[in-house]
Amino acid sequence: MGARKGFSRKYLGIPYAVFLAIFVILPLFVILYYAFTDGTGHFTIGNLTGFFTDPNTLGTLLYSLLIAFSTTALCLAISYPVAYILAMSNLKRKSVLVMLFVMPMWINFTLRITALKEILTVVEGNLAFHPFMNSIIGMTYDFLPFMILPIYNQISRLDRSLLEAAADLGAGSFDAFARVTLPLSMPGVASGVSMVFLPAMTNYVVLDMLYNSTYIMGSLIGSYFSAYDWHNGSMIALVLLAIIVIVTLATDAGEENDQKGGALI
Amino acid sequence: MRKSIKAFAVLAASALLATSIPMGGIGGRAYATSGTIEKEIVLRVCNWEEYMDLGDWDEDEVIDLDSGDIFGEKALYEEFEDWYYENYGERVRVEYSCFGTNEELYNMLTLGDEYDLVCPSEYMIMKLMSEDWLVPYSDTFFNTDVNNNYYSRNVSPYIKEKFETHDIDGKLWSEYAAGYMWGVTGFLYNPDEVTEEQITTMNAACDPDMFRQITLKDNVRDSYFLALGAIKSDRLTSEEFKNDPDYSEKLEEEMNDVSDETIAEVLDYLQAARKNVYSFETDSGKADMITGKVVANYQWSGDAVYAMDQAEEDDYYLNFAVPKESTNLWFDGWVMLKKGIGEDSAKQRAAEAFVNFLSMPENAIRNMYYIGYTSVISGNEEDDRVFEYLEWNYSADDDEEEVTEYDVSYFFGGEPGDYTMTVPEEQTRRQLYAQYPPEDVIRRSSIMRYFDVDTNAAINHMWISVRCYNLLSMPIGLRILAILLTAGLVVLVVRAIAISAKARREKRREKRVAE
Repeated sequence: MGARKGFSRKYLGIPYAVFLAIFVILPLFVILYYAFTDGTGHFTIGNLTGFFTDPNTLGTLLYSLLIAFSTTALCLAISYPVAYILAMSNLKRKSVLVMLFVMPMWINFTLRITALKEILTVVEGNLAFHPFMNSIIGMTYDFLPFMILPIYNQISRLDRSLLEAAADLGAGSFDAFARVTLPLSMPGVASGVSMVFLPAMTNYVVLDMLYNSTYIMGSLIGSYFSAYDWHNGSMIALVLLAIIVIVTLATDAGEENDQKGGALI
Repeated sequence: MRKSIKAFAVLAASALLATSIPMGGIGGRAYATSGTIEKEIVLRVCNWEEYMDLGDWDEDEVIDLDSGDIFGEKALYEEFEDWYYENYGERVRVEYSCFGTNEELYNMLTLGDEYDLVCPSEYMIMKLMSEDWLVPYSDTFFNTDVNNNYYSRNVSPYIKEKFETHDIDGKLWSEYAAGYMWGVTGFLYNPDEVTEEQITTMNAACDPDMFRQITLKDNVRDSYFLALGAIKSDRLTSEEFKNDPDYSEKLEEEMNDVSDETIAEVLDYLQAARKNVYSFETDSGKADMITGKVVANYQWSGDAVYAMDQAEEDDYYLNFAVPKESTNLWFDGWVMLKKGIGEDSAKQRAAEAFVNFLSMPENAIRNMYYIGYTSVISGNEEDDRVFEYLEWNYSADDDEEEVTEYDVSYFFGGEPGDYTMTVPEEQTRRQLYAQYPPEDVIRRSSIMRYFDVDTNAAINHMWISVRCYNLLSMPIGLRILAILLTAGLVVLVVRAIAISAKARREKRREKRVAE
């Protein structure tokens, strides 16, 4: 091995630990402080109770969940068949095809959404009539690669002999899919879901650009900050954080495999 | 090569400086008399984005006035550094940075960013004044006998009057702020789709003829002002009100009404407007007008000028109209911050000189040409290049058929008729009208004051209520469904977590057993 004395691989993690402390942990405490204080700096839980009693914030939470849920569902519905076909096929230039799906991500996303806006305008005429649908389309367009890649990776790593064994034991192709491929691809799905669901709750730029004037969580935080109200804004951020933790835990639960599909990105 | 010389000079200077400090200690103010040592003043300026001419114009982009050419070579703040050295004999370096909104600037300041000179809008200036952030301008700054006091010598009498008749806690605006750009608000519209009469009212936001074809500003103050004008439309446009001897004061009171009942009415109006408009836009309104996605857009006059210019390049013509009820008269102005300037008189002199430099007529013209907004500078009897620029820009050609006289004397300081020019008739609805509105528009303009902390919270809550999806507006059946769905999701999530935790525990146990 010949490792030098006193040097451990652990030390390589120090830069990241420092980064984490300064840019993640520390701001978290700042948010915590603001979320549980009022304008005069005194401790209060008014911001928390305020969040769960105001029909506006609750409605926004619901609306964001609805947007995120629909986006995730649509992404999944499109991605799974694509990833499955790609991974299972014997195409020669598979990597080129995969790259084609990733390629949109090489272009700045505001540029892509602007282009989408023009396309949708041609199709729909006036975008203002379908703000919810346009938001879902925009988000799906934006996040699709994040869903395709992990699923594709998971399925292509699948041991084909398992499918042969299933066939030997008399499973039809549908049974083999439903009882072997599908369960084994779940970690990829879980990873994709967490990569789409969470940003979809807050990415208000897509909504802004596609003329959806309804606030989602991200824009609500922004509106409090621009009214110099750090306290309520921080509380909303904190609630959002709690949701993120829960969703991550839930998706991790379905994802025993440690290899995340996002590595390709 | 030159770089290395410079570096050497800096080194040498710092070496000299180092030796001069003990000398100064021993021999009194020895260093002050030595001409070779120069102290550099650093002036930290924070301005709106794209709100100052940054030079680098194309060769053919000269403003060729009869009195001489005006051309932007370098950024104005860079040219200021040379100008200051020539005129005041001191080196100054400008650290120039930008902000996006007044609120962003305020947050930056409260979080501890330090600037010497910033350029917020009138309501933010009022807020900063009331919270004691600002340093007043020195008496010298207002001395019109000093040649270099370009601001005091060239500011429009109209703007000057506004700054001298408004106060915060008994302190006049003019003591703390020097104007930069100004304008009004109104509707940019497509004359092929919308009639002038239809759009010359704040009620246009709820006009079913423009269903889903009109955009408003995504900003609570502009929306609030618009809604105020709409709900008070009948009163504001009545002959009795308009002929009241205290019309201006009363109008300003009405347009600053923040009583609870009014806020509630505004909420109702904006909720109705939201159902009618295309969207609330932050920056897309201009482009959407040009591409024809919408037919009207509530807009600041300067941005309207920009949009009309852009559209004209494609032979497409947009107009601008100011609502009959009122219009929001706004200013951006330079203020000096206590935290930056402090007691440093050299720095304050440089900051004031910076404002004066920007107020030189040629520089005001360069700014107007570059950003499309209207400068507060009008010039004076000796130097009327701003008016000359206006004529250069808008005067009708000899062969023009439909022309009209346009009077801007109120701005340039004269009796009606002193400053008139012959312009194409269409300019009474286009850029000129937006840049220098006629006197009847000015008469119905109103300044919108800042909101105090409580009012700000109430109005922000109103705005959030306009923009958020309200749970209570949901039909009861759907509400129950939503709650059930959420509860179901929560149960699923909790179960998934529990299962995985159990699986992990079992794995660990297996591992232990195996060992």
